[in-house]
Amino acid sequence: MVGKKMIWLGVAILFSTLWVWGTAHAVSEIRIGQIGPTTGWATMFGTEGLNGVKLALAERDYKFKGIPIKLFTEDTKADVEVMRTKLDSFKTRDKVHFIIGPSLGHEGMAAVDWGARNPDVPILIGYSAPEDITMRKATPSVIRPGWTGPQVIFHFGKFCAKDLGYKKVIIVGQDYSYPWDQAAGFTRGFLENGGEKVERIWHPVDAVDFSSIMAKLTGMKKEYDAVLCNSGGAQVVAFFKQWYQFGLDKIYPQILGQANVPIVPMLTELADMALNVYSSLHYYDGNPSEANMKFRESYLKAYGKYPSVIAVQGYDAMRVAFKAMEAIDGKVDDPKAFITAVRQVKMRENESPRGPFYFDKFGNPIQNIYIKKVVKKDGKLMNIAVKTYKDVSQFGPYAAMPEKYMAQPATSREYPPGNKDDYFREIEKYFGKDYMAELKKNNGWKE
Amino acid sequence: MSLILLMSILNGLTLAALLFITASGLTLSFSLMRVVNLTHGAFYLAGGFVGLSVLKATESWIIAGLAGGLCMAALALFEERFLLRWARGNDLIETLVSLSIAIIIGDLILVIWGGYPKTIAIPQALGGAIKIPIINLPYPLYRIFMLGLAIVIIGGLWLFLKKTNFGITIRAGVDNFQMVSALGINVRRLFTSVFGLSGFLAGMAGVIGGTFMMLGIGEDWRILTLTLIVIIVGGMGSLGGTIVGALITGLIYSFATAFIPEFSLFVLFLPVAIILSIRPQGLFGKEV
Amino acid sequence: MIKERFFLYRKTFLALIVAGIFISIPWVTSDFFVLMAIRVMYFGMLTMSLTFLAGELGVVSLMQASFFGIAGYFVAILQTRYGLPFPFPPLVGIAVSLIIAGLLGMLVIRVRGIYFLMLTLVLGQLVWALASQWSSVTEGDTGIMNVYAPVLFGISMEKSKTAFYYFQLFFFAGATWFLIALRRSPFGLMLRGIRESESRMRMLGYPVSLLRYAAFVFAALVAAIGGVFFVYFMGLINPSSVSLATNVETLLAAILGGINTLAGAVLGTGILKTLDVVLSGITKRYLLFMGIMFLFVILFAPKGIIGTVRNYGRSFLSPLMRWFGLGED
Repeated sequence: MVGKKMIWLGVAILFSTLWVWGTAHAVSEIRIGQIGPTTGWATMFGTEGLNGVKLALAERDYKFKGIPIKLFTEDTKADVEVMRTKLDSFKTRDKVHFIIGPSLGHEGMAAVDWGARNPDVPILIGYSAPEDITMRKATPSVIRPGWTGPQVIFHFGKFCAKDLGYKKVIIVGQDYSYPWDQAAGFTRGFLENGGEKVERIWHPVDAVDFSSIMAKLTGMKKEYDAVLCNSGGAQVVAFFKQWYQFGLDKIYPQILGQANVPIVPMLTELADMALNVYSSLHYYDGNPSEANMKFRESYLKAYGKYPSVIAVQGYDAMRVAFKAMEAIDGKVDDPKAFITAVRQVKMRENESPRGPFYFDKFGNPIQNIYIKKVVKKDGKLMNIAVKTYKDVSQFGPYAAMPEKYMAQPATSREYPPGNKDDYFREIEKYFGKDYMAELKKNNGWKE
Repeated sequence: MSLILLMSILNGLTLAALLFITASGLTLSFSLMRVVNLTHGAFYLAGGFVGLSVLKATESWIIAGLAGGLCMAALALFEERFLLRWARGNDLIETLVSLSIAIIIGDLILVIWGGYPKTIAIPQALGGAIKIPIINLPYPLYRIFMLGLAIVIIGGLWLFLKKTNFGITIRAGVDNFQMVSALGINVRRLFTSVFGLSGFLAGMAGVIGGTFMMLGIGEDWRILTLTLIVIIVGGMGSLGGTIVGALITGLIYSFATAFIPEFSLFVLFLPVAIILSIRPQGLFGKEV
Repeated sequence: MIKERFFLYRKTFLALIVAGIFISIPWVTSDFFVLMAIRVMYFGMLTMSLTFLAGELGVVSLMQASFFGIAGYFVAILQTRYGLPFPFPPLVGIAVSLIIAGLLGMLVIRVRGIYFLMLTLVLGQLVWALASQWSSVTEGDTGIMNVYAPVLFGISMEKSKTAFYYFQLFFFAGATWFLIALRRSPFGLMLRGIRESESRMRMLGYPVSLLRYAAFVFAALVAAIGGVFFVYFMGLINPSSVSLATNVETLLAAILGGINTLAGAVLGTGILKTLDVVLSGITKRYLLFMGIMFLFVILFAPKGIIGTVRNYGRSFLSPLMRWFGLGED
């Protein structure tokens, strides 16, 4: 029993060595915490975001009006328990003035929950896209200079129905909230603009063998017009590969992709398989604007590869923070003032690689949405915009009635219904007869 | 028979082929040394990445496969010779050693190859689909090749274990370890070589699997879990059991993703629990 | 006279010192330290349930986090979805966790050694698969949010971390006492007998399987209590709390401290959680660092810090220990 008791002493000693933590810091520097998954399966999503933040800081030499800026970075391991620990560390140990991140859907939801309990630490959400961060769970201290899943895909549904003329579409995706959101946004745009049916197939998040699904898709060709790949990261690579192996490219027209499918890092891996893929996003890498060109080149110089939208958002988040700091003259130690300033930031044309944007009252940007197509230019694959929808809010076509939109249940595997009749019955419940009549009159959404 | 049913069976068989190639090495080393080598998944993934780099340099898929296998064999030899041997005799400690090596390799992969998902291009000769006669169904040629390769490996292992002196020694070691060492056979060399063979199979499986699906961070643990399911169901240490275990796992996975994708993971783990509750040693395992 | 008297109570004295340190933490340390201490305690309970099994049954479990998580999930579901008042969610949560431990225990208790490790690994993954795919109940990978710690005696555990700390400390001390008492009880002695010679105990007519089974359920109880505090403190629960990574991390913490001892569990968890926060701030390669560290611990100090201190530190520290009455046992 000797050592055991002694170890209790050891525990005490360990505790006392940590005593020193949390002592007061000087106020003469701006402290920023950046968080995201930089190890594990989601490494790509965390690292690119971090690189973007660093690039924006390096542009200003890690200084704001002579005040040095210190960046603290932490890894979430894609685990929310770890993330909450790190957020607490940022707050109580590093005493950061604000936090940028995280990147993944469930991380973002946990971060907004933390934000509601710690309203004195502003959070600028990174790539994380669940609607509720800036809708049902919105809290003043959490602002998202990013996007929501449905925001970028509402109009893609419309595009597929109106411009590509599809009537019935199959969505194959990973079984968790982010792809559910994407499927929901697409379904709304598609069915309200003349589409007839959306069938959804869900597979485990980390599935890599899609052969059974390919078999199923082969059999479904009789009824359906097109397939939308609703996954991200490694699953996209596996899906595309097997799509071609099973010869599905010959029986379906060009595969459609959700927002994360043809982003820059994926293009390198997918190579020619990605050619002609349609998708939609609030950024496209082939944007010829001056801001985008400059950003791409300096990113390439710093990190040896071209940036993706994830990096753009890290970059934008930091630049939004800079603009807010300018408005309050660097007084980041007043979180209320900083939050108010961030919410009033307006990025003008050519200020951000993605184009102009500003925040709605929930803290999500109102921004351009681009319908993209992958093309080959000078031997390199890139996305070009085939259509641009300007100033789209997170409520998309329902921007005038956010309360009605939020009264609907959260999206799930089956919600909203993918069948035209069920769908319209459902939205009539929430948006009323007037909306239905207007849809009918305009034959879909107004331009 | 409906199209989807037929396809699901074929898909299950080809997945089983990959699982068998991966699991056969693990079951060999387990049956001889009583070590559950938790590094096996890391060997798979690292082998795949090595293959990817070699393929870029040589443009030969066969060399890539061999290189992936050989590099992992070397790593496995190192692990056995310098780390596991240190803890020989305590199977738990050995298992934990392999666990920490898996963590180390996993992070090294991230350092060397980065966090982006990668894929190995299918060799030209094996690309595309062929029509399977009789049932008249187009099916990816590469998958048929995988199935064939698994059968060749089964045959090879069977011949090796039944016909060569070395193989016979291994089988004897599995059955009665004390007896073999009492007969003056160099047991250490036996262990090391079997472990090397196991690493080779895992590394090669990584290249095959990386061509078939993709390579990404976290894939090591996924493959390890699937492999463990295979050998737990089949019974640890039995090659025949591994074949059956791979078939069961592959077919369940295939049918579950086709018909109840939302619960495929659960359905995958459930039979394991059932089999274990009836026969803790697995279908073909010897009494514990 | 006085000296003799003192020696009589020296163990109590030591216990008082330890208790004093734990009680004084919120008074003398920083907020961050209190948060870390809370974390170490709930994960400590999880690790203790693993080391209890390792010490008493000689098996390594890779599914203790399942019992931790099941209790947490039930607290979250009952509180957020059905609005049950405190203390019902935690009571039901722990009860359900125990029932499941009771059912699974019947399966796992039959196997030993490495088979136990693999079987618990697969069962743990089964629980994880349910948590991540049964989304109508568990809300999938996002998990259940908006769980709030209860209000006790008019103090909100949610707002005051100090109150939460003491609230948890009470149960943490209780769980530790429970396991120590179990170990010293006739039950513990019988388990020790089984560990040394199972066949002899069976011959002597002891219900060997039943005893082992009971130990498994007791271990699950401690993990479940930890899970309740976990969900209250985090305010949310998602499948990562029952994942293989959590189970492996628990095992690593146990190894680091000393896999057969309860004190080692707490020490190992403390070091691991501290390293996690400190190292990840310094380097992105902390996983590599941890892996190498564990390799060394396993190879050179397989009994963990406690075992090593016991082996080598004795002569060096013995005067001090003797003073505290911590002689040979």
